[in-house]
Amino acid sequence: MASPVSVYNASPMVDRLSSTSRESLKMELLADVSLLPGEERIIDKDIIYICPFNRAVKGKVLITNYRLYFKSSEADVVMALDVPLGAICRVEKMGGASSRGENSYGLEITCKDMRNLRFALKQGGHSRRDIFELLFKHAFPLSHGLPLFAYMTQEKYVENGWNIYKPMDEFRRQGLPNNKWRISFINKIYEMCDTYPTVLAVPKESKDEDLRRVAAFRSRGRIPVLSWIHRDNQASIARCSQPLVGMSGKRNKDDERYLDLIREANNTAKLTIYDARPSVNAVANKATGGGYEGDEYQNAELVFLDIQNIHVMRESLKKLKDIVYPNVEESHWLSSLESTHWLEHVKLVLSGAIQVADKVSSGNSVVVHCSDGWDRTAQLTSLAMLMLDSHYRTLRGFQVLIEKEWISFGHKFASRIGHGDKNHADQDRSPIFVQFIDCVWQMTKQFPTAFEFNERLLLTILDHLYSCRFGTFLYNCESARDQHEVRSKTVSLWSLVNSRMEMYLNPFYTPESGRVLYPVASMRHLELWVTYYIRWNPRIRQQQQSPVEQRYMELLALRDEYLKKLEELQQSDSPSSRLANIPTPNTTSSSSTSSTPPHQFTELHTPL
Amino acid sequence: MLTGSKTTFKVRQMLPDIKERMLSQSGVNVRSRDVFGLRCLPGECVLQRAVMVRKKLTAREGRGWVSGTLFCTHFRVAFVPQDSPKPDDNADPVLLGDHDVALASIEKVVVVGPNRTKLVNPNSSLKFTPEELVLYCRDLRVICFLFDRLTPDAQVIEITYTIAKTYQPPKPGSVLSFQNAALGSVEMKQFLSNRRRDTHTNWFESASDWEQELERCGATGWRVSSVNDRFEMSTSLPRSIVVPQKLLDTELKKSFAHFHEGRIPRWCWRHPRGSDLLRMAGFQNNIYHEKDDIRNLEMILFGCQSSLCVVVELDEELPSPADIQLSHSRLRALCLGDISTSVSVPDDKWLSTLESTHWLDYTRACLRKASEVACLLRGGHLTVALQEADDRDMACVVSSLVQVMCDPHCRTQHGFQGLVQKEWVIAGHRFSSRINYHRDNDKEEAPVFLLFLHCVWQLSSQYPTRFQLTEDFLLALHDSIHLPLFSSFLANCQRERCKRSQNLGQSYTPVNGWRDVDSSSDPSDPPLPSVWDWSLQYSKHRRDRFTQPVPPIPPLQPLLNGNLNTHPDTHRPADTAPGSVFLLSRGTFSCPVNLLPWRGGGSGVYKKSHRRAASSENVPGLERLLKAWSMAELPKGLASTSAPQGPPDPYEPLLPLLMGPCMGLWKECYLRGALHAQAFSHPVSANHPHPVERLAREVQQLKDELAQASSGADPTPPPKAAEPRRADTNLNQNANNGTFLFPGSRPQSATAPRSAPPPTSANRQSSRGPPPPPASAPPTRHGHRDNGGGNKHTFLFGAPPPAEARPDQRYYPAPNAAKLPKSNGSSVAS
Repeated sequence: MASPVSVYNASPMVDRLSSTSRESLKMELLADVSLLPGEERIIDKDIIYICPFNRAVKGKVLITNYRLYFKSSEADVVMALDVPLGAICRVEKMGGASSRGENSYGLEITCKDMRNLRFALKQGGHSRRDIFELLFKHAFPLSHGLPLFAYMTQEKYVENGWNIYKPMDEFRRQGLPNNKWRISFINKIYEMCDTYPTVLAVPKESKDEDLRRVAAFRSRGRIPVLSWIHRDNQASIARCSQPLVGMSGKRNKDDERYLDLIREANNTAKLTIYDARPSVNAVANKATGGGYEGDEYQNAELVFLDIQNIHVMRESLKKLKDIVYPNVEESHWLSSLESTHWLEHVKLVLSGAIQVADKVSSGNSVVVHCSDGWDRTAQLTSLAMLMLDSHYRTLRGFQVLIEKEWISFGHKFASRIGHGDKNHADQDRSPIFVQFIDCVWQMTKQFPTAFEFNERLLLTILDHLYSCRFGTFLYNCESARDQHEVRSKTVSLWSLVNSRMEMYLNPFYTPESGRVLYPVASMRHLELWVTYYIRWNPRIRQQQQSPVEQRYMELLALRDEYLKKLEELQQSDSPSSRLANIPTPNTTSSSSTSSTPPHQFTELHTPL
Repeated sequence: MLTGSKTTFKVRQMLPDIKERMLSQSGVNVRSRDVFGLRCLPGECVLQRAVMVRKKLTAREGRGWVSGTLFCTHFRVAFVPQDSPKPDDNADPVLLGDHDVALASIEKVVVVGPNRTKLVNPNSSLKFTPEELVLYCRDLRVICFLFDRLTPDAQVIEITYTIAKTYQPPKPGSVLSFQNAALGSVEMKQFLSNRRRDTHTNWFESASDWEQELERCGATGWRVSSVNDRFEMSTSLPRSIVVPQKLLDTELKKSFAHFHEGRIPRWCWRHPRGSDLLRMAGFQNNIYHEKDDIRNLEMILFGCQSSLCVVVELDEELPSPADIQLSHSRLRALCLGDISTSVSVPDDKWLSTLESTHWLDYTRACLRKASEVACLLRGGHLTVALQEADDRDMACVVSSLVQVMCDPHCRTQHGFQGLVQKEWVIAGHRFSSRINYHRDNDKEEAPVFLLFLHCVWQLSSQYPTRFQLTEDFLLALHDSIHLPLFSSFLANCQRERCKRSQNLGQSYTPVNGWRDVDSSSDPSDPPLPSVWDWSLQYSKHRRDRFTQPVPPIPPLQPLLNGNLNTHPDTHRPADTAPGSVFLLSRGTFSCPVNLLPWRGGGSGVYKKSHRRAASSENVPGLERLLKAWSMAELPKGLASTSAPQGPPDPYEPLLPLLMGPCMGLWKECYLRGALHAQAFSHPVSANHPHPVERLAREVQQLKDELAQASSGADPTPPPKAAEPRRADTNLNQNANNGTFLFPGSRPQSATAPRSAPPPTSANRQSSRGPPPPPASAPPTRHGHRDNGGGNKHTFLFGAPPPAEARPDQRYYPAPNAAKLPKSNGSSVAS
């Protein structure tokens, strides 16, 4: 009845469930999961989900080779859980056959994405044995000789995301090679360094033999190579691993000469070497053969950036999870947050990157390394490049940045995330990439018009960091990816993203090339990324979209509806090709910003 | 209309002595401006200036530095950027330019020299030439000027001394001299006397203002009483108070004695579902309750609901003014750091130190209390009486927060201004004492209003799309509080304000909505403007940013004859015995025996019925209402993906999330002084169509195509002709100017023809019923222009402005079968 009174309606507790009978509910329960092409049902079962926010909910669980899906069968509780198996860190049995108490017998699942799930089953008859074993097997396929889901999926996309990053194209965009820098294929068959990409930019003066000799003095052969060059002042960001100085304080003339070549490439007086570690850790590394550049490196200064190692970061995020899941620490929230130190670590990473960016924009070349040059180094160089180069702030440019600085330069995704691996306590696991995305999010918050992509992209990236649905984040380095034929056998995450770009666009984006962004790296201005870390808490309302953004989403829905209708009409009506007129999704202005006009820098100082 | 003097005043030469300079100004009357381009107020004189100075810009101003000339007058420190447009000599005077700061706002003057920092006071002497001048303001701004090598050293030192000597150190008497400096000239007085009042804001000064509000809320059963017209019943209550209709003034008079300061229960607001919000002071003890008194008191309290009253206790759970003062001073110290020593809290202790100020706790406490009240009111059919011992602090906070949460009108700029008038200025919040302008009463000082602003900001940050007023507006209000110039804040109650303007004896009924200031008042006292006269303080450019376009608010449905709507959803506490009174305290309901002192006494006729009501069987009904509030935080499903939903019910209260991670500090206000690189600007480039616009065009194309395809050979017009108010029709009509982006233009305007035109901006401009806009133009076009979007995406929201602040046209007859389209996604081909 359409009475004007209805304006007052919509108490938030309105029960939206239709009055379907229980029976039909059960039948359609699992029908509404839209499985991915290539996804197959493994098992389904009646189960009780012990919801930490509400109460135990009866329902049905479906396990496929890709996901765990739960749906409530209770008439008054509308709820569903959809968890990619890749997000599961640990599966444990809870209680025993003789455990007392309600819902004490079941499964406990720890997830990599800041949540835990608990399910209860009926006691007796080994009711959980089959589901536990199947879940364990498919959640950790690599530990059971099974392939990752990325190799099973049959998904097809209009765009092939594997084409987003071509090293030579990216070098050319930066104006390389030029009279100071050359492209070297010395690592074509991963002979010099098995964790580096095949195409490297090195000083023109250096011969391939020099590179080999430098490789011998750098941990795992990760020699200093160019990551980014400033178009105007030719200052460059180079990345590498620590020098193998050792207890005895070894020197290597080739390494010293090589670093000097990097400095000479743009004729500055001093090369700045940023060691991401705290100086104590750098010293301690000498004991294991590593170390840092000493005074013998003339024309170079060394700066420690005090960023802690992967173990500290892992523990910090674990503490954060403790105070936000399942319940948010109510009293003394801020001091609890402070005691996790998570934001402080974010701050140190950001302020390190700011120093790098500031140095480069003032015309000095820098070399960045930590111990192996694949964790903190990747964070620092990619964030500095994000500050310096507006191309990386576009939707496609950001994909290039991740492909380049993280994937191709061998951030050990497989070890840090533990894809398909049951060893949940592996000391190699660490949320380094999550921390990087957090830093990017902090920047998007501080510069809401500077990024072409939106928060949804960052959330999508983090979801598929774990999901194993795409090949993008699988394996530790390019050589391993080649060996496992990732590019030919799996789908890239960027295929998904670039086939639905509108979803990930920031309506407020204002292309502005040439401006260096210096975020404020201060606890006063950093925020906890609530919509990621606490997103499972139903009390966290997804941040209301701005009216424009809201309107954008409505238009998107409308467009889809029209497209569908048109398609239907065509099928029923005439076979004429009306669809040909439909405008393709707008590709964005990423191309328009790639031709970077002369950089013009606005300097803003930041308390460091 | 006289707009005061257009003359600019200048001192052409720097004179050696400040006093002499100040005296010298009156004779100078030059029409031309000096080359440095400062436009002085009438009577204002430049004491000193320095050229080639750079001012640091905040994020809001666009960051970076801007060069220009720095001035010190006896009223302000002014800064004129080099390339600023030539000011219009004939424009009305603006007290402060975009880059200026009033001397009274300055708290500390600090200079930075080569490797040293010095706090400058009137007696200091400088032993070095400053490179930087930093002004720390009371409103937490920090303004930083950089002296170039090109600035003559003498000018640098001179202007520093001048500012240090002229800014207003907090001492008695300084306020008046500051007011005189700003407003004291004959021209200025004349100008102010002829200011027109903003007619969009309800000032709540006269009986007719209150009647307007009763009408707006559809509150029948209440009337405006002038029993306190000469402030004889209560000195701190306003002249007009709203009481139940059935109560005669003679009966009313006896009730004042029963309440602290005579602040009897008064009506504040009616929820669309028919509940009334009242506020009152604590009961007077040791007073004998006669039978008649009791009858009157009960009647006042129950208003026209006569069934259920909930007394909400405010003293216990909310911070005291002293708590607020301590908390705010800690917060200030934390945000600004120790200015003299440039020491601030180490960054890694920021969060815990912020927590220990309790500012966020207090914000949460106020919001929680207001949420509870909002949920009770939503239940319908009851009276909620806020009770605070003196009814002049937290009652203001809670009653106004409740209305901001529940009433979309209060989230518009003019609605909010009316709200502040109603619940603060006229209700007798002791602004003058709480802000302590005269620095003569430190014990009473407590920034209660600033806590309220922080609560409003908190709400607006959680519901950014539901506020027509913006953070810029809240900031402007925040900063104005610290300027002792406005009649709104310079008195403790209406009586004091009237006394000052010498209007005490006059009966005052501004039927036409604006008043003529009595120009015969003492010429030595400048007439003080109201804070709402924003054009005195802010340029058009800044004022444009006070509002943002929001989807139009459907008008309040009139509740005819007090017959409340009986929506099935209303949580109506069933079977309430008439005359039940409950106390809400600490989130639970109870009915203590002595809640109403006259009932506990024993002789009351109501005792019996009260006892019946006191059986707690009714409490669960009320508790369910409160539960709705905690439940409201839980969404229906746990799936994280939330599809865009249709427009939310505009009268559902905006209940804030109060969990730690959801509560933030208003950084744009409190951390303005901290070094800051945030950017927030939405420049719309002509070359790059906005993504929303691009998509909109695409959708439009698709729609056309679909219409073509579905019609096929049939040349009948597309479905839009049949259903002219379909949202997508709207979309079609206005595709060119983008106004279709909000579908919810009031559908009734077309379906139910009315005598009155919809309140488009065209007739909103002039208050008194101009002819309706030409019928040919679609109404949306008009809303488009002055929707307040300024340079933002105005084009996105062309729908008519909300039904706000139009005194003569507030309610619209309920159209038959007018159902709002829930979303724009309605089908086309159907």
